Amino acid sequence: MNALAAEFSKLKRSLSWAVVVLLPIVLVATGLIMTLIDGRGLEDGWHTLWMRSIVFYGLFPLSVGIAILASLVWRAEHRGSNWNALMAGPTPSLQIIIAKAAVISVLAAIMQVIAVVTTVALGMIGFGLPGFLPPEYLAISLLIILASVPVAVLQSWLSMQMRSFAAPVAVAFLGAGFSAFLLVVGLDAAIFISPYAALSRATQLGTATFADTGDITAGVIAAIIAACLLLSTLLAAANTVVLERADART
Amino acid sequence: MSFIVESSNLTKAYGGRTVVDGLDLRIPEGSVYGFLGPNGSGKSTTMKMLLSLIRPTGGEVEVLGQPMNRSTRRQLLGSIGSLIESPPGYAHLTGAENMRIVQRLLGLDDAQVDFAVKTVRMHGQMGKRVREYSLGMKQRLGIAMALARQPKLLILDEPTNGLDPAGIEEIRELLRRLADGGVTVMVSSHLLGEVDKTATVLGILSQGRMIFQGTRADLFSAATPDLLIDCSDPRRAQSMLARAHGARLEDTTVRLAGVDSDEATAGVVTGLVAEGIGVHGVRRDEQTLESVFMGLTAGGGL
Repeated sequence: MNALAAEFSKLKRSLSWAVVVLLPIVLVATGLIMTLIDGRGLEDGWHTLWMRSIVFYGLFPLSVGIAILASLVWRAEHRGSNWNALMAGPTPSLQIIIAKAAVISVLAAIMQVIAVVTTVALGMIGFGLPGFLPPEYLAISLLIILASVPVAVLQSWLSMQMRSFAAPVAVAFLGAGFSAFLLVVGLDAAIFISPYAALSRATQLGTATFADTGDITAGVIAAIIAACLLLSTLLAAANTVVLERADART
Repeated sequence: MSFIVESSNLTKAYGGRTVVDGLDLRIPEGSVYGFLGPNGSGKSTTMKMLLSLIRPTGGEVEVLGQPMNRSTRRQLLGSIGSLIESPPGYAHLTGAENMRIVQRLLGLDDAQVDFAVKTVRMHGQMGKRVREYSLGMKQRLGIAMALARQPKLLILDEPTNGLDPAGIEEIRELLRRLADGGVTVMVSSHLLGEVDKTATVLGILSQGRMIFQGTRADLFSAATPDLLIDCSDPRRAQSMLARAHGARLEDTTVRLAGVDSDEATAGVVTGLVAEGIGVHGVRRDEQTLESVFMGLTAGGGL
């Protein structure tokens, strides 16, 4: 798809790369240092490490990170008359929406890889844990990458709509916080309504924290995948309809 | 004559405020259409409606013989180059990288991009980041981005805004070359002088309404120039004609407004001669396009 190739060209010299690299490293490390300051060790080895790094990260920093990436990706379009130029071209609205969401999703995926690498490095070098990260967490990481997609689609929409950089990030922060609360009180169905909830839920898989029972069942995995596909499709379709009808501003 | 752009009763209102009011635009194919009007007269809004960037409140637009609306726009926009308001361009990328994005989005080949860049004489600047460009360079890159698709129609909104006289002349020259090459160009300006010499057809907008549309010659004939009379007793002639024609005295010349036919002119001369005043000169005032324009947009704050 030509629009996708064009979107990737725009990432050159973008600030997005700094976010993609620094945010997961800083947050995973922060999650761990906090628990160390509390004086608790890694009672259950790799599992505890995963819980304190990735699950903590998945509660809200991951969604906020995707929101920052979306705002950065859209910022270039809101400057000058770039938006007019894009909308006065032949690229169909759906392609524009998909290309933007795809770029944000790919950046989010790279961010997840870096988060996992940081976790493994801290485990092996920092804490001298025996062996390697249990393989199920690598599979869960793939699910987290998938669950980043609906958040990317939603944040892309918000950043398209709002010219402000901070407002969509604030929405992600509040949305992720509220979604985490819903999961804590056991409202698992929230994953079908809130992309933030679906993403948080994916990070909690197999850890027996918050909404998770500790068992990785086919049912739970299927529910998360279904929620992601459903939310991504609905949000992208709605965004396209809105873009088709909207007047260009400025 | 076939029209590349045709609108009927094109209207845009925001809330209760009508910004563009019942425009019937007719842009002949192959023309340079100068779209003139004071700032805030609705030029940009009109151009955005022609591109379907914004949807009209009423009326219709036909471009390239097809209705322009949200379901047809993407297909039509492939043959329309445009530059609306400020020039586009991603500031963190180089000129070449910006052109590459356009190339990818529009599926163009290298030759088309090279041609567009050379046309605006930017081939020496493509390695620089757009953030380091001067306004004139940004403007030219923006035009190159619009030109690369080899459009049939080019819509340029105030392309000379903020340019120095040399830059303005260069854009004018470019528009002439494009028109010679068969591209129809619609160019807006709030300064008549900027499009006067390039435009073959003029449309003048004032407070959202089209107050004139036609050729330069049409524009001159739309407004009757003052009658100037030289005679043996200008003072007496002025007082004689003051009531009927609002005659004013300029040095030794009597200036009459609103004498719009040959019969009326002859009548004035007969009257003077009957009073024993010798008439040795009767002529029409030299009129600049500027004064006609100012008269039409009176109070527009140009």
